[in-house]
Amino acid sequence: MDLFQINNLIWMLPLICVFAFLSIGLFSKFLPSEGAIISIFSIGFAFILFIFVLIDFISGDLAAIHSSFTWIDLGEWTISWGLLIDRISIVMIGLITFVAFLVQIYSVGYMKGDSRFGWYFAVHSLFASAMMLLVLSDNLLLLYFAWELVGLGSYLLIGFWYEKTSAAEAAKKAFVTTRIGDVGLLIGIIILFKATGTFHISSIIHAAQEGGISNEVIFWSSFLIFLGAMGKSAQFPLHVWLPDAMEGPTPVSALIHAATMVAAGIYLVGRMFPLFELGPGILVIISIVGIVTFILAGAIALVMTDIKRVLAYSTISHLGLMMLSLGSFGVPAAFFHLVLHGFSKALLFLGAGSVMHGMHDQTEVELMGGLRKKMPITSLTFLVGSLSLAGIVPLSGFFSKDEILISIWEYNSWFLPITLFGVFLSSLYMIRLYCLIFLSTARSEYAEKAHESPRTMTYPLIILSILALFSGLLAFPFPFTGWEGFAAFIDDHHKFHMIPWLTVVSILVAFSGAFLGWVIYGSRRIVINNISSPLKFLYRLVFRKFLFDEIYSWIANKIVFTFSRWITIFDRVIVNDTGIDGVGNSTKKSADILKYFQSGYLYNYSLVMVVGLFLMAIAWWLVE
Amino acid sequence: MIDLFNETSLLALIILPLLGVVLLMLIPSAYKDVVRYSALSISTIVSLIALLVYLSFDHSIQGYQFLYTYSWLDIPGVWGEGSGAISLDLGIDGIAALMVLLTGIVMFTGTIVSWSIKEDLKDFFILYFLLLSGVFGVFVSLDMFFFFFFYELSVLPMYLLIGKWGSSSKFPTFARSKEYSAMKLTLVLVAGSVLIWVAIIAIFIQANLGTFNILAIEKVISENLSSDFQKIAFPLLLIGFGILAGLWPFHTWSPDGHVSAPTAVSMVHAGVLMKLGAFGIIRIGMLLLPEGAQFWMPLLIVLGAVNVIYGAISAMGQTDLKYVIGYSSVSHMGYVLMGIATLHYLGLTGAVLQMFSHGVMTALFFAVVGMIYERTHTRDSLVLQGLAKKMTVTTILFGIAGLTSLGLPGLSGFVAELLIFMGIFQSYGFGGIILGAFAVLGAAITAIYILRLIAKSFFGPISTQWEDLTDSNLRERFAAGILVLTILLIGLWPYPFVEVIKHGVDPILSGILGAI
Repeated sequence: MDLFQINNLIWMLPLICVFAFLSIGLFSKFLPSEGAIISIFSIGFAFILFIFVLIDFISGDLAAIHSSFTWIDLGEWTISWGLLIDRISIVMIGLITFVAFLVQIYSVGYMKGDSRFGWYFAVHSLFASAMMLLVLSDNLLLLYFAWELVGLGSYLLIGFWYEKTSAAEAAKKAFVTTRIGDVGLLIGIIILFKATGTFHISSIIHAAQEGGISNEVIFWSSFLIFLGAMGKSAQFPLHVWLPDAMEGPTPVSALIHAATMVAAGIYLVGRMFPLFELGPGILVIISIVGIVTFILAGAIALVMTDIKRVLAYSTISHLGLMMLSLGSFGVPAAFFHLVLHGFSKALLFLGAGSVMHGMHDQTEVELMGGLRKKMPITSLTFLVGSLSLAGIVPLSGFFSKDEILISIWEYNSWFLPITLFGVFLSSLYMIRLYCLIFLSTARSEYAEKAHESPRTMTYPLIILSILALFSGLLAFPFPFTGWEGFAAFIDDHHKFHMIPWLTVVSILVAFSGAFLGWVIYGSRRIVINNISSPLKFLYRLVFRKFLFDEIYSWIANKIVFTFSRWITIFDRVIVNDTGIDGVGNSTKKSADILKYFQSGYLYNYSLVMVVGLFLMAIAWWLVE
Repeated sequence: MIDLFNETSLLALIILPLLGVVLLMLIPSAYKDVVRYSALSISTIVSLIALLVYLSFDHSIQGYQFLYTYSWLDIPGVWGEGSGAISLDLGIDGIAALMVLLTGIVMFTGTIVSWSIKEDLKDFFILYFLLLSGVFGVFVSLDMFFFFFFYELSVLPMYLLIGKWGSSSKFPTFARSKEYSAMKLTLVLVAGSVLIWVAIIAIFIQANLGTFNILAIEKVISENLSSDFQKIAFPLLLIGFGILAGLWPFHTWSPDGHVSAPTAVSMVHAGVLMKLGAFGIIRIGMLLLPEGAQFWMPLLIVLGAVNVIYGAISAMGQTDLKYVIGYSSVSHMGYVLMGIATLHYLGLTGAVLQMFSHGVMTALFFAVVGMIYERTHTRDSLVLQGLAKKMTVTTILFGIAGLTSLGLPGLSGFVAELLIFMGIFQSYGFGGIILGAFAVLGAAITAIYILRLIAKSFFGPISTQWEDLTDSNLRERFAAGILVLTILLIGLWPYPFVEVIKHGVDPILSGILGAI
């Protein structure tokens, strides 16, 4: 076995970052720049390795690269760990390594002077490593393994500033909320194991396609696995953790929203899609969850006034769109959108970080305004990201959205009008955000004194904005190169095609949203209060985020914790004091009573004897 | 040399701590450092022997290993010629080998964290070694009489250890004195012992061999131990041993006992002592009464599920760090009981691995809480706040223990629980799926209370009274480090452990499944 064979080399992808995590975690104090350099070097190495693997993968006619070893041998069952490079995972690896690399470079400037500078990079490495393991794993158990480690990474990064109570709470909320979905995921995985005797994804899918698994089992296991995906990808009603996740440093948000964590759920559904499509009704459930998330989160994004919250809800909304696409057989479109959205969202979050950097960590858009002149690079790149997410032609977001719309039209046409409404919302809130931050005049002292960020921060912005501008072109087949479009790369059966009228409609919808946004927030020809006042109730409901947080905390405090206190009291008073101590006390009491029969005095005993004899005599006399 | 080791090492595990007791008695208690270092050297020697026993245990050879026999009491003429009635028969299978290793680890780390005990250090170590001698004795005995003898030996020192070196706790609504906890623990466990003793004597009489030897009796199960007898005798063992394993509703001695005990005793208590109960169910109950086990296991798996959920919900309602961990032990021992009750290869393997994993994890938990309590003199999670700022390493150690208990992959708890889950889903048909779902849910509830605790006590702004805290010292970190490494080793590379467990699990299960 040659260590440098490509299929053994892919283990290096996650392992090098684990190495970075361990070395920084243990020895950060002794390392130059507290170890940040090691972390960046590792993820950069992983990115280069990705390119080598990609070349090998393409030159091998896209044949899967696979490597595995036995983890536990239980005789009848063997649990092996394997990594798999195929069309989906190579795309994900590219996205993860690239975005993580840029985010880490950006973080050097952003986190400068933080008391736990080294630890920040250590956890970053762990996070990236877990995410790579997740997308590479060839079996569900290893996937779950990495899945939970991703959860740990997010917990540590969101709670990075743990001295803040809000950060500690947000970290806990993220872990617990996704963990609730994970209960479903693990049960689903074990049910599949029970049915097939293996965790191996392709074996399970093969068994399902051959009819080796009953429909009931497929339905329930798919549904339970989807619960896990809902948690990680922040789908309604398990989305509540993602907006709070902004308590972590802003580059972390860029990473979580673009490349790691939330991408996991989309990836999982895409990976297990051949199973899901066999389950009766599963795709309908996915579509409904997706479209509800798409619309509701879009509506919330429209009214939030915190820059990071707007972006967070926009992520949730777009994840909903991807789920909807998956539910409409649009697996390639969903992955395409995942990648392009990843670029744009990383760009926007890093841009937001740059804005905050210049604004002394203010996140309220009401305090901004007029930053276009003071932060020209940030402003321009942010505009690119906004337009891309808004789906304005010809930026990248337009192309992926177009492919999703085609899928929906072909398989789920009932959902098309609502989806278009969502597209409208999404371009409206993005333009609103841009106008509020960068146009008109400064609305606070902070905004007046704002300044552009250092180069380690602006260069990643520029690189990402170039990608956000042009990566959409990957949708098209390139003549003479063998590239037949992104969709065909993911799945041979999806040839690149367009539906002209749908494209025109989508362009019009996106433009009208953007135009409305500009009219209201940019040129201010329409005063927003005139529109919102008749809809006051609706506005308040949306502004309170449909009361999800309130309802959940009510359930947690009033039901779960109250119940647990009752159980605690029950345990102490009933089980212990009454049950266990009761036995002891009754023994003691009966002893107290019985002890009088053992007084030790002769006259007591003779009295009892005499009375006894007398009674016996009477008894004898009565019987006779 | 190797032969000598093979023959006497198990005996040494019992005798050396007793010799240590004698040695400590001879040292004047004023020489505290002499006491400490002698205790440490005894612990080190015994733990090294335990480690060597585990390492030289060969799982590819079937049957019990490291056999040793000493005929203690002969009753000739009653049951026929030549059958020694009671003899000290020692030997281990894979399950016992792992438990011996666990005891060694906990004993060693427990000695290190006891370094800072101020009051009557010598007497503490005397009782501590007495306790551990008993624990080793239970794991290596193949004779029911001595099994029971050592079982009692390991319970009784607890009374003094908790009653003297323990701490009482006061809460707004109730109080628990250490004397009360010690008394309750001892009485409840002795009550369980009575049931066990009845069952052991019944098996002795029914087997009609004149010997308490487990292996001898095992050979005559099908002839002498009728199915009806087994069904009557098994619940006695189940409840008797179950009490020590924290079986609901007989569990309340355990959280109170944990809370009142001094750090090292909590570690041994939750880490090893509770495992004796589960070990007893496997060693005597399942091995000698296979049909009884078959008959009663459906009850045990339901009670185990109650343990898991009830323990976790109770832990959620607690505010004292040690109470939270105490109830989490009840919850985690529920997984062990469920795994045993699956009567499935995966489940039973997972149960034994969970015994080991939980032992190490909970020892780490109590060691860390001990470090905090020594510095802050409180365990109230409402008073502790923002400790991470000053006690960073301690926080990380607590976090690792917490993540292990909530089943984070890469740490030992995940592997053990996974195997148990798989076993539960494989057994009892649809009921198994429902119970399995509850078991998985239990792990999610664990996440809630552990993370709540961390957020409350370790994160957030540090309160002014803790500004001057010092972090854990090297001695404490060394002890905790051993436990952390063990947790990581099992979590990442469980296969070697699983192979050893398989050695013990296979014959037991084939006995039970063959008996149907």
